[in-house]
Amino acid sequence: MSKLIVATLAAAMLAGSAMLASAQERVVNVYNWSDYIDDSLLEDFTKETGIKVVYDVFDSNEILETKLLAGGSGYDVVVPTASFLQRQIAAGVFQKLDKSKLPNLSNMWDVIMERTAKYDPGNEYAVDYMWGTTGIGYNVDKMKEILGTDAKPGWDVIFNPEIAAKFKDCGIHLLDSATDIMPSALAYLGLDPDSHKQADLEKAADLLMKVRPYIRKFHSSEYINALANGDICLAVGFSGDIFQARDRAAEAKAGVTVDYSIPAQGAQMWFDMLAMPADAPHAAEAHEFINYMMKPEVIAKASNYVFYANGNKASQQFLDKEVIEDTAIYPSDEVMQKLFTTTPFEAKEQRVLTRLWTKIVTGQ
Amino acid sequence: MMKSLGSIRRSFAPWADPASKPFISVKNVTKKFGDFTAVDDLSLNIYTREFFALLGASGCGKSTLLRMLAGFEQPTSGEIILDGQNLAGIPPYRRPVNMMFQSYALFPHMTVENNIAFGLKQDGMPKPEIAERVAQMLKLVKLEKFAQRRPHQLSGGQRQRVALARSIAKRPKVLLLDEPLGALDKKLREETQFELMDLQQELGLTFVIVTHDQEEAMTMADRIAVMSHGKVVQVATPAEIYEAPNSRFVADFIGDVNLFDGTVIGVEGGSLRIETTSGIQLRMASPEKPASGAKAAVAIRPEKIRISRQPPDHAPVNTAEGEIWDIGYLGDMTVFHVRLKDGKVVKASSLNAVRAVEDPLGYDQQIWISFGEDAGVVLKD
Amino acid sequence: MAKLASALVSRLVIIVPYAWLLFFFLIPFFIVFRISLSQTAVAMPPYTPVFDLAGGLAGILEKAREFSVDNYVWLTDDALYFNAYVSSLVIAAISTLLTLLIGFPIAYGMAKAPRSIRPTLLMLVILPFWTSFLIRVYAWIAILKPEGLLNQFLTTIGIIDQPLIILNTNSAIYIGIVYSYLPFMVLPIYSALEKMDNSLIEAAQDLGCTPTSAFWRVTFPLSLPGVVAGCLLVFIPAVGEFVIPDLLGGSETLMIGKTLWSEFNANRDWPVSSAVAIILLMILVIPIVYFQNVQAKADSEGK
Repeated sequence: MSKLIVATLAAAMLAGSAMLASAQERVVNVYNWSDYIDDSLLEDFTKETGIKVVYDVFDSNEILETKLLAGGSGYDVVVPTASFLQRQIAAGVFQKLDKSKLPNLSNMWDVIMERTAKYDPGNEYAVDYMWGTTGIGYNVDKMKEILGTDAKPGWDVIFNPEIAAKFKDCGIHLLDSATDIMPSALAYLGLDPDSHKQADLEKAADLLMKVRPYIRKFHSSEYINALANGDICLAVGFSGDIFQARDRAAEAKAGVTVDYSIPAQGAQMWFDMLAMPADAPHAAEAHEFINYMMKPEVIAKASNYVFYANGNKASQQFLDKEVIEDTAIYPSDEVMQKLFTTTPFEAKEQRVLTRLWTKIVTGQ
Repeated sequence: MMKSLGSIRRSFAPWADPASKPFISVKNVTKKFGDFTAVDDLSLNIYTREFFALLGASGCGKSTLLRMLAGFEQPTSGEIILDGQNLAGIPPYRRPVNMMFQSYALFPHMTVENNIAFGLKQDGMPKPEIAERVAQMLKLVKLEKFAQRRPHQLSGGQRQRVALARSIAKRPKVLLLDEPLGALDKKLREETQFELMDLQQELGLTFVIVTHDQEEAMTMADRIAVMSHGKVVQVATPAEIYEAPNSRFVADFIGDVNLFDGTVIGVEGGSLRIETTSGIQLRMASPEKPASGAKAAVAIRPEKIRISRQPPDHAPVNTAEGEIWDIGYLGDMTVFHVRLKDGKVVKASSLNAVRAVEDPLGYDQQIWISFGEDAGVVLKD
Repeated sequence: MAKLASALVSRLVIIVPYAWLLFFFLIPFFIVFRISLSQTAVAMPPYTPVFDLAGGLAGILEKAREFSVDNYVWLTDDALYFNAYVSSLVIAAISTLLTLLIGFPIAYGMAKAPRSIRPTLLMLVILPFWTSFLIRVYAWIAILKPEGLLNQFLTTIGIIDQPLIILNTNSAIYIGIVYSYLPFMVLPIYSALEKMDNSLIEAAQDLGCTPTSAFWRVTFPLSLPGVVAGCLLVFIPAVGEFVIPDLLGGSETLMIGKTLWSEFNANRDWPVSSAVAIILLMILVIPIVYFQNVQAKADSEGK
C-alpha cells in the first residue's frame, strides 16, 4: 500500500517534471530502487554530458512491473531484478541495447555476465547494476545464546524443524515469495534449486510445512525493521536489506547486532539490471547513462556507497576494502561456486506455485 | 376573600372549603440551576379533579415546576406531596402522573397504536387488555382510522391527540400538560380547548397545564396561578384574576387594562377617594382602606369605560375629558384610544350591539370618559 | 433566457453525481470486468485479447469471442479463494461488532455531553485522522510486539510474566481495524443520537420506563440508522482491508485483499485478480444495497 502510494506520487512527479523539461534540454528519466545510488554520481553525469537526470525511485519489483506492463511509463532507464526482467522481456517491455553505444561493456565481469545471460540470453537487453544473494540475517547475540556458537548459520536453522523450533519465541521471518524461498528449500534438500518438477516442489513444500509452526511471519520487507529492533532473531531475506538492518541496528545503539550469512549449502543470487523500456523517449541519453554507469570509477563509487557487489570487474580495484573484503558482499570463490540462479516459471506453473505457497504461508 | 366576582362556571370550589384536602401540595419549593433561581420558595395546593393552570411569560418557572411534578427535576429545597406521598427521590417512572409534552414527544419509530400502548406494555398489562384500552383511547381522541400510521404521517392536530391519548392511557392520577396547544393554529386551538375540558370532566382527572396564553388559561382552568420570576403572584379563578387582580403585574398581564396612578385623599363610606397624578378625581369601591396620602393605583378594564359627548352627571368624579386618538374596529367591538388632557392614552371598548350607528364617533372628537365606582380595582403597589 | 439557463444548471446539478459514478465507478468497473474475462499473457498489457479500434466493430466482435469465464472457474477450483472470502467476511464481521460495542458508548457519551463541549469531543474523535493512517498502524506494531509498550507495561505492573503474543495474530488485526475505523462508527451513531429529541427519553420514563428500558425501547431503535450506517462503513472496507492484516496480522491470516495483492503483483495475473475483485465487489454490493434501503426508509420517516 505504502509502496503503491509512493509509486503513484513518483509517477505524478515524473509526469510533471518531464513536461517541464524543454525540448532542447537533454534529459534522461531514470527509475531506480530507493536508497540505491550516491546522488553525487548523478550530478557528475550531468556535468560531464550536459544531460539532466530526472530520478525517481520505487521499492518493489511489482510496482515497477505493473507500470511497465501498463505501458507508457515515460522512463528511459529502469532497474528490474533479473527474475522479473526475463518475463518482462518476453512481454516485449524492453528494447535491445545498442552495444556500439556502450563501449564500457568491456569492463563487465564475465562471471556475472554468464549468470545474467540465463535470464537475458546474450545479455541483449540489460546490464548488471548490482547483485547480491538471498541468505540469512540474524541477531548475533541471540544466535550465540541459543546455539552456543559463533559460527555463521546455515539453512538448517531455518529448515531443520528441531533447530528452527528453538527460534520460535525469538522470531523467524521469511520472505513472502515462493520464487525466493522454494529454491533455497530445494538446495537444503540437496535437490536442484532450479527444479520446476511438481514432485520436487511438493517435497520443498512439505519441508516448509514442517517448520511453518516456528515461522512468525512471511513478509518481504518488515524483517528489516524487525531485525534491527531486535524483534526477531532470524530472517531469510535479500543481502542488501539485511545490510540495511545491520546499519540501522548499529546506528540505534540499542545493543542489537545484526549480521548476514550466505549459507554453506548455497544461496540464490539476484541481479538488479539496467534496462531500457521499448517506448523510452530518450534512447540516446539512456545509452549514455548506462555507459556512464559502467565506468569502473563510477560503479565502484556506487558500490562503496550502497555496500553491494557490482557486475563490473574493472571496478574492483577502486572498491573500498570494507566492501571488496567482506565475504558477505563478495563471497569467496568457493562460495561463489555454490551460488545458484533460477529460471522463471511459466504462467500456469506460476499459478500452481502461488497456490502452493499461499497454503504454506497461511498454514492451511 | 372579597365577594365573588363574575360567574363561576361550575359549582366546584374545593379550594374555598377549608375542610377539603389538597391532592397536590407544593411546599416552599425552590429550584436553582447554578446561580439562577427558576422557582423561588413557591407554595400552592391543587385539588382532586381540578383543572389548574400555571400561567406566565417564558422563563417564569412554570415549566420547571411542572417538570418537578413529573420528576424530571428535583427541588433544591422544599417538598411536593401528591396524594399524601412525598415525591422526593421518586423517579419519573414510579410517579402516578403522566405528562403531555409540548413537542408531543411521540416515538417516531412506532405506530400510533404502539405509541399509545407504550406505557401499558411497560407496565406489563396483558395483551387483550392493552388492545382494549388502546381502542378505547383511539375512540376517545377520534383516531380509530389512524392506528397504523406513524407520527410523521399525521397532521399537527392528530399528533396532539395521539400525545394526549398516550398520556392518559395509563389513567394517571394527574395529567401534566406542557403548552399542549402551543403548536396548533388558532382555530384548532380553540376547538381543542373545549375538547380538553370535556375530556377532563369525563375522565375525572386532575389536570395541571402550563401555558403562556392567558386566554387559554382563562377558558379552560378552574384556577390559574399567575407566575413571575419563580414566584406565584396570584392564585385564583379566572374571573377573580381578571376582575380582581391583586397586583399591577396581574392586572397588566391578564387582558388590557388602564392604570391610573395616584394618592389616597380620603374615605367616603365604602369607597376610597383618590386623586391621580394628573388631577383626575376618582371614587372607587375598595374593601381595604389605606390611610390618606398613601400611594395607590386604580386598574380599570377598557370595556368598563364609557364614552359620552357630554360630561356625565357625576362629573367631575370618575370622569375625564379627552379626544378620540385612534379607533380599532374589531367587528364584535370597537376599541377607542382616548387621549386625555395630560397626554395619557386610555383604552375604552364598546360592544357593537347594533349593526349601524347613526353619527358614530370620529377621530379627534372631543369626548368624556367615565366609569362607575365598581369598574376598577384599587391596587396598593 | 435566464429561465433556460437555470433549467440547464439544475439539469447539470443532477448530472454531476451520475457523471461521477460513470467515470469513477462504472467505466473502471467494466474495464476490470473485461480483464477478468481475458486470459493472462506474457505481453504488454499482460492479458489477451486486447482491443484495437483499428480493427473496426467486426474486429472487436471477433476478439470478444476469446472472452471466457475460465478465471471464475479457477477461483472455484480450490477452496483457498472461498476460504479467503469467508475468512475476510468473518474478520470484518467480528471487527465491526467490536467497533460497534466500543463506538456506541462513545457516541452516546458525546451526544449526552453538554452542548458546549461537543465540538471539542467531535474534534478529538476526528483528530487521529490528522496523522497518516500508515503511521498509526505502524505505531500499533510498537505497542503490541512482544517487547512492546503494552507488554512492558503489563510486565512492570506484574499482571503477566511472559509477554503476550498479540502482534501477528488475528487479535492484532481486530485491534487495528477497530482503532482505525472507530470514527466511522462513532460519527453516524453520534449524528443519529444527537438529533434525537431528549423529550422522547423523558416521555418513555414518564410512561414507566427505567433509564435502561428507555434506552432499549427508544434510544437504541432510533439510533439504528446510524448503527447500520456505521457498521457498513466499517464492514465494507474491512472486508477488502489489506494494510492492517499485512502489517499487524500473522501470515496465517487469509484475507481476500492479500490474495488479490499476490495474484496481481506476485503472479502478475491481472485476469484472475480482476475476477477476485469482481466477486469481492458482488459480495459487498449486498450490504450496500441493504444500507440504501435502510437509509431511504429512514429518510422518509424523518419527514
